[in-house]
Amino acid sequence: MTDSTPHLPGQESWPGLWHHLAVYGSSWLVAMLAIILGMFVSLLLGLVAALAAGLSFLTIHRLLRQKAVADQEKHLVDEQLLQSQKLAALGKLSAGLAHEINNPLAIIRQEAEWLLFLCRQSEPLDMTEAISGLRQILKQVDRSREITTNLLNFARRQQPIVQAVNLNRLVGDMVRLVAKETEQRRITVVTQLAPDLPSINSDAPLLRQVILNLLNNAMQAIDQDGTITISTQPTEPEAILIQIHDTGCGISKELLPRIFDPFFTTKPQGKGTGLGLSICHGIIERLGGTITVASEVGKGSTFTVKLPITLTPKEI
Amino acid sequence: MPTGPSILLVDDEERFRQNLKKMLTAHGLTVTAVGSGDQALAELAKQPYDVMLLDMRMPGLSGLETLAILKKDYPETEVIVLTGHASVDAAAEIIRLGGFEFLLKPCPLEEIIAKIESAYERKLARQERPG
Ligand SMILES: Nc1ncnc2c1ncn2[C@@H]1O[C@H](COP(=O)(O)OP(=O)(O)OP(=O)(O)O)[C@@H](O)[C@H]1O
Ligand SMILES: [Mg+2]
Repeated sequence: MTDSTPHLPGQESWPGLWHHLAVYGSSWLVAMLAIILGMFVSLLLGLVAALAAGLSFLTIHRLLRQKAVADQEKHLVDEQLLQSQKLAALGKLSAGLAHEINNPLAIIRQEAEWLLFLCRQSEPLDMTEAISGLRQILKQVDRSREITTNLLNFARRQQPIVQAVNLNRLVGDMVRLVAKETEQRRITVVTQLAPDLPSINSDAPLLRQVILNLLNNAMQAIDQDGTITISTQPTEPEAILIQIHDTGCGISKELLPRIFDPFFTTKPQGKGTGLGLSICHGIIERLGGTITVASEVGKGSTFTVKLPITLTPKEI
Repeated sequence: MPTGPSILLVDDEERFRQNLKKMLTAHGLTVTAVGSGDQALAELAKQPYDVMLLDMRMPGLSGLETLAILKKDYPETEVIVLTGHASVDAAAEIIRLGGFEFLLKPCPLEEIIAKIESAYERKLARQERPG
């Protein structure tokens, strides 16, 4: 029965422990020391890590703040640059505008002065001359109105209305629109339209305006007898190209940088307002594309319009 | 009989040129009208003119270029600059070149005539006391 005394493991192991301690005492101490040292080291490491983290946080914070300030400054500079560019464009525009409007006004003034002069004469009024003067006034008023309408179109920066546009069809339509004039001028129009051209997301009425302007310029550059080649093709990532080539007079290197300026024209008074290309440029920019030109005097010019297949409208 | 100044009018806008010539002639002035800077220089090579009315913005030789040549080769001719735009830069350039008289289009005929007369008087005064 004595054997049946409940046996508690702990009770029996106590003396064992002491024994253990007595035998392995030194190594226990070593172990304890190691643990303390380990704790100390890890504490130290933790402290260093925390310090490092704190420091790097501060540095990153400072860097971010510096970047924010730099961004702000850059933004300001960009804004100022844009503003000054706008002002420069406005200056050029108003100088050009004054000239364009003042010329027809000067003629209107002359006609009126002359009619007044004729009316004050004792002789009866020469009707043919009076009618010619009045006609001229009407003509000059129309000329001024054309300038202001062009300007309004230019200034009206309405958001493009984006929809699927079949460019090949659009180009074909515009070529047909000028067919009568090209025929009269004995100009051959060659179209090279890519059959696999994807339809693009863009604004068809605005694009029509661009193509028409470029075709008009090409015809005027050729005047009589020549060829206009208009082509479409898909191009590198997600874009299409429209090229209008003419065998016209070409543009000299000196004038080339100015042709997109509002009111820049080499055409005689009353023939060109010089707004065509600046309007084209404005439209294409709004449609997320680019318009470029290559030209050689006496050989001809090529205008290249590049448009994205999908338009991400951008506020200008 | 023609005691008034000989006038050379240079403007590329045909109707304006013809009208002004017609109106000045009706006021008893003698006017020759040409359509470009090159034609004006060719005309001056043929005979001297007292007063010149010169448009600033013309295709080909511009008004400013013509003016520079005039000041060098025909300093006796008084120049009145006609301009449709009052660009400050262009004005400074003109003053620098020595063509002081301005007419801003559109302007009344009397103003043009008055400018022509005073230009002519200036020219006569200069001839009286040379140097
Ligand atoms: N295809 C071309 N070939 C040669 N010169 C050109 C061509 N397209 C444009 N230009 C030059 O660029 C100038 C500006 O063209 P832009 O279309 O802006 O005005 P414009 O044709 O003179 O007048 P508008 O378009 O108002 O009738 C023209 O006067 C001409 O000198
Ligand atoms: Mg044009």
